[in-house]
Amino acid sequence: MRTARHTALLMQRQFVQMLRNPVWLFVGFSTPLLYLVLFTPLLKHFTAGGSTGLVLDVFLPGILALLAFASGMSSGFNTIFELQSGVIERFRVTPASRFAILIGPLLSGMIMVFVFDALVVAVASALGFHINWAGIAILVVLLSLLMISMAAFSVATALVTKDISAFAAVINGLNLPLLLLAGVLLPISVGPTWMRVVAHFNPLYYAVEGARALCSGSFGAAAVWQAFAVLGPLCIVVVAWATSVFKKAVA
Amino acid sequence: MHTGTDAAIVTDGLRKTFPSRKGPVEAVRGVSVSIGAGEIFGLLGPNGAGKTTTLRMLTTLLSIDAGTAMVAGFDVARQPKKVRERIGYVSQLGGADDLATGRENLVLQGRLYGASLAEVKPRVDELAALLDLAEFADRRVKTYSGGQRRRLDVALGIVHQPTVLFLDEPTTGLDPQNRANLWEHLSALKDLGTTIVLTTHYLEEADVLCDRIVIVDHGQVVAEGSPRELKRRVAGDAIVITMRDQQVATERGLALLGGKSFVREISADGDQLRLYVEDGGAAMPELLRVLDGEHIGIKSMTLSEPTLDDVFLRQTGRSLRDTGAGDGARHGTEVAA
Repeated sequence: MRTARHTALLMQRQFVQMLRNPVWLFVGFSTPLLYLVLFTPLLKHFTAGGSTGLVLDVFLPGILALLAFASGMSSGFNTIFELQSGVIERFRVTPASRFAILIGPLLSGMIMVFVFDALVVAVASALGFHINWAGIAILVVLLSLLMISMAAFSVATALVTKDISAFAAVINGLNLPLLLLAGVLLPISVGPTWMRVVAHFNPLYYAVEGARALCSGSFGAAAVWQAFAVLGPLCIVVVAWATSVFKKAVA
Repeated sequence: MHTGTDAAIVTDGLRKTFPSRKGPVEAVRGVSVSIGAGEIFGLLGPNGAGKTTTLRMLTTLLSIDAGTAMVAGFDVARQPKKVRERIGYVSQLGGADDLATGRENLVLQGRLYGASLAEVKPRVDELAALLDLAEFADRRVKTYSGGQRRRLDVALGIVHQPTVLFLDEPTTGLDPQNRANLWEHLSALKDLGTTIVLTTHYLEEADVLCDRIVIVDHGQVVAEGSPRELKRRVAGDAIVITMRDQQVATERGLALLGGKSFVREISADGDQLRLYVEDGGAAMPELLRVLDGEHIGIKSMTLSEPTLDDVFLRQTGRSLRDTGAGDGARHGTEVAA
């Protein structure tokens, strides 16, 4: 009960911080739209039929997973900033639960991403993307799991490294291979066998495959249950780890 | 010493060691202090002495390697939650949200301590009056001056009316006027019954503000008492004479002046002679006369009341200012010769 109250308070705080940062809002809204505008046209030749709608049906679920992943992975930058400005230390001396201090801001980041997503989906649908509402509803749950896992990982990494350059090196070093081995932009199935094997160790791969299946309405597809089977436990493990990092000394 | 019920904080053999590439660093090596309820207590020492580490252990931010600490009646290691409810902490960084207003910061802080919105609102007005925040409370913190920001930081630390308030280097980076202003506010807080524990490397701050201090060096307490008691131990005023001709003059000066009855202590360091005398004002003309009589030329002669730096020097053999912590806290009168 107390944890829920503290989580809500810290979530609300983070919301206010984000909404008062115009640069952040601008980048948040424009990034996904840039993908739509500058990348979709390139894909037309790779898709049978070649209509924008069909391209988006394959490509958009990948963008949504990418946005969730990227937003989660970048959460730690804010953590570094708040470590250095003393905000986190101020909260850690209060009786607020450590879990709430960790999760509160992540939840508001997550809600903002869904706001961006809604805009992208709306624009895409105007361009011919076929919306499967039930699929989108389940996708929200799947992407929440992905985002919280990545964000908790990123925040814990920030708490361990404590320093912007070390943190950025770790996160950027992980971002690229994880992105390339997930089939976000092009399906991994067009790649060679070894790539397809390695991809199975990448949580983002399952999110992307699951997202594609959900958006096309194939709820019974293996990709859907596999995505939940991977991301559900991953989320629990990473959040538990991050909370324990938080509880320990953060010098 | 404060023991039993009137002690706000009692620590016994507090230790903290950090791992590092060059091997373990013992930041705090057995700090035992007892801080009475309602005191302003200072931890004075150079940078890296272990003051902040000690404070962070007492405020539950850092685990304790060895020893015990009772704060506001609870064991820090065993009952951190109970301790957190009863203490306030203002870190060196402050940690207010730049993009929020002072009032918003205070309201959130109050609510994190469990107050309802209806309870916290009048409390924020109270704090705004107490710390002179009213004028800018509804502006974003980003626009605050250093002094305004620091007062907000203190307000954030006391929203929940803690029994003990910890302040880490509260006036570092403030100009003298804002520093004096914050001291006044902290004294006012003390009058309301709050126990205040602060770290500082400003001698003047410890001197003006604190009821009692400990001098910390290399993770250990090297002296403890009220600033007045500590200074009295140094005995009298300090005079520093810089010689024109280094060696001969210093050696002769040492022999010559060391024999005078009014000189309590004398030591030589490079081209400088350092003397402790009972009454500096009376001693200076006498010293000049003696040196002049022997044709020993001097560059300058400086008189100062004993400062905590003299205490530090006596306890550690080093000047606090030589350790890189200095801020010219010595008020000297210089006599050119």
